[in-house]
Amino acid sequence: MKNRTWGAVPAALLMALLVMGSNAAHADRLDDIKKAGVLRVAAFDSNPPFGFVDSKDNQIAGLDVDYARAVAKSLGVKLEIQPTNPANRIAFLKSGKVDLVFANFTITDERKKEVDFSTPYFASGTQFIAKKGVFKSPEQLNSLRIGADKGTTNEQQVRAKFPNATIVAYDDTPFAFAALRTGNVQAITQDGPKLVALLARVPDKANYEISPFTISNDYEGVGVPKGETRLLDVVNNTLTHLEADGEAAQIYDRWFGPKSAAPLPRLFKIGDPEKSS
Amino acid sequence: MHNWLEPKYLAWLEQGFLVTVMLSACAALCATPLGFVLAVARTARTSAIARGAAAYVFVIRNSPLLVQLLFWYFGAATVLPSAWMNWLNTPHAVTLGTLTLRWPSFELFAGWVGLTCYTTAFIGEEFLAGMRGVNPAQGQAAAALGMSRYATLRYVILPQALRIATPPLAGQYMNVVKNSSLTMAIGVGELSYMSRQVDTESFRTFQAFGTATVFYVLAIAVIEAALVLWQRTGVRALQRGRV
Amino acid sequence: MNGFDWLPTLRYLLLGAFPAGPLGGIALTLVLSVMSALLAALFGLAGGIALAMTRGFVHLALTVVVAFFRAIPVLMLIFWTFFLMPILLHVDVPGLATVVCALALIGGAYLSHSVYAGITSISDGQRQAALSLGLTRWQTLREVILPQAVRVMMPSFINQWVSLIKDTSLAYIVGVPEFTFLANQLNNRLMVYPAQIFLFVALVYLLLCGALQWVANALLVRRKSTRLSGSGVQGDKYHERREMRSPLVGAAATRRARD
Repeated sequence: MKNRTWGAVPAALLMALLVMGSNAAHADRLDDIKKAGVLRVAAFDSNPPFGFVDSKDNQIAGLDVDYARAVAKSLGVKLEIQPTNPANRIAFLKSGKVDLVFANFTITDERKKEVDFSTPYFASGTQFIAKKGVFKSPEQLNSLRIGADKGTTNEQQVRAKFPNATIVAYDDTPFAFAALRTGNVQAITQDGPKLVALLARVPDKANYEISPFTISNDYEGVGVPKGETRLLDVVNNTLTHLEADGEAAQIYDRWFGPKSAAPLPRLFKIGDPEKSS
Repeated sequence: MHNWLEPKYLAWLEQGFLVTVMLSACAALCATPLGFVLAVARTARTSAIARGAAAYVFVIRNSPLLVQLLFWYFGAATVLPSAWMNWLNTPHAVTLGTLTLRWPSFELFAGWVGLTCYTTAFIGEEFLAGMRGVNPAQGQAAAALGMSRYATLRYVILPQALRIATPPLAGQYMNVVKNSSLTMAIGVGELSYMSRQVDTESFRTFQAFGTATVFYVLAIAVIEAALVLWQRTGVRALQRGRV
Repeated sequence: MNGFDWLPTLRYLLLGAFPAGPLGGIALTLVLSVMSALLAALFGLAGGIALAMTRGFVHLALTVVVAFFRAIPVLMLIFWTFFLMPILLHVDVPGLATVVCALALIGGAYLSHSVYAGITSISDGQRQAALSLGLTRWQTLREVILPQAVRVMMPSFINQWVSLIKDTSLAYIVGVPEFTFLANQLNNRLMVYPAQIFLFVALVYLLLCGALQWVANALLVRRKSTRLSGSGVQGDKYHERREMRSPLVGAAATRRARD
């Protein structure tokens, strides 16, 4: 029966027709947001302290959420959070399901072709977690199975720098960590601050250690739909103001300060010049 | 071709397709005899075995495959003793002459186990329906001729049951290919996983998903073609009195 | 489990962030299932009737479309409707609608096939008798064939709806906060109880699907006992014990029945 292979032909034709026929222009996103009175933001739901579900009220909270709330306040609209994992961030933004991405979104040239980025508001480097005693040198990584998150720059960097390593990509960091715990992978890779925060909340943290070396210098910014310059300006202005009146430092303190679960010194302020990696 | 997808990404998709085919084939190969055993167990005289088999079918068929896969990968891993986990996670290789058989990674193993358990329940039901589809008069005639229950099954019921069950069985094999796409949730590098990977890296959503869809439809078409071939030759063979 | 509150967590799994956020959890799973089931039944009936009433090129085109949707994995169709449709059509489609759309299309394709098989399984004598009495083709379909065919098709409908309930769990991959998604979130938060959490999830789905099958069987048994036997329905092989048949057996069995 040729039906099944032939079934692909009309479907392809239909798609081609839709691609050619859809030329609708859309109004400015900023106006849409103000009219709807709601700012939709994609944030993590399983990556403390950037975005996670607070067990007290089952709402999503975190560093990224605080920044998003500040932007919503400056626009005078409500904030609506769409939980996401790293793989779905860009898809949510490009398909118009969210207006901004506040999810530890690393700025890369490749991504700049698809989305616009705000000025960076966080800096980090790619690091690794492994069971205690496994790490001796960076070159060792070439022979290990490394867990990564789908759709992250960490995955691409590790693939580029350690071509002989086997990389298994999971939907989100907790999955990768579960794989590490069961021994399915020997190391997992993520941004340093995320790993520090992850380890601080794990019940058996004494068995693991974070690599002393980083393999990159990354900057995270807010993801904005391509071409929405007015929205981008609002976001940039909000971020600069937050830094100027000290609120950015307060937000950082709340999640990474000395009283938090995983203290980290603040080495990057909004507006600092970027190091080349 | 370069405008469709870069060769590097096409290679990823082809690799994913290979994994899909291998995983589906292994799962189907194991599930078929197991399903047969399950169907026989369902018709067993001992009520404990029959009830147990029925309970297995009920549980497996009424819970989502995704949840079962997540359970096998995350849940079973914490329940199994750590010595077993260590063995499952270290790469073993068996060399037969020039061929090296490598023990699959744990996610592939868990995906295979989950897929096999899931498919066994459905294939068991198809075999059962096949057996029930045979005219009861056949079994009665065989008993009247003095054949034992085993002989009845082997020479009278089963050949007819298998013939009745083959088209739905082919349908279940197609379902295995489609269900293998769910193993992407536990990290198996099969076709859907690769298409997602290509999409996130190259941003060519339409091309990535389009190619993957074509591959899936191709695989399904092959199984369908095999079924049609079997039906044509099967019926003709019957009519010529060869069976 | 120190400091772990059962009740708020159960409430979260049941309702999601509602009313402080969008509906989620088991409630959303039920909403998704019901909406997809209704739409799929609609598509299925329309498609099956169209398949039965058309000839030639239209019939072939319909067969090809139905075959395509039965050949594509549900996950891939969800990817298409979720990621690609909004980009192509420049419309903002909420996540819920894309998943319902994908599930309804696939369910509709399977049901079209079952409806078509059910309609063709009704003995030709019925159709010819109705036509010779002066009924039009559509009247024949509506008054004579369909009422009998529906009883033959009901097991397929039930099976497909059970399948739909299970397939709503795939919405997890595209970030729709239904039950499996929230259970995963919980697992990510707690980290050390994956077996228990996923067993609980499986149990809930078992209850949902089992309840649907029990209700359906109860209604069907009542119907069957009031039906006269020998009403010319050759689809007696489509006994409700046939359970989760593949789509092909319908056509194959009718082929056998006619031989």
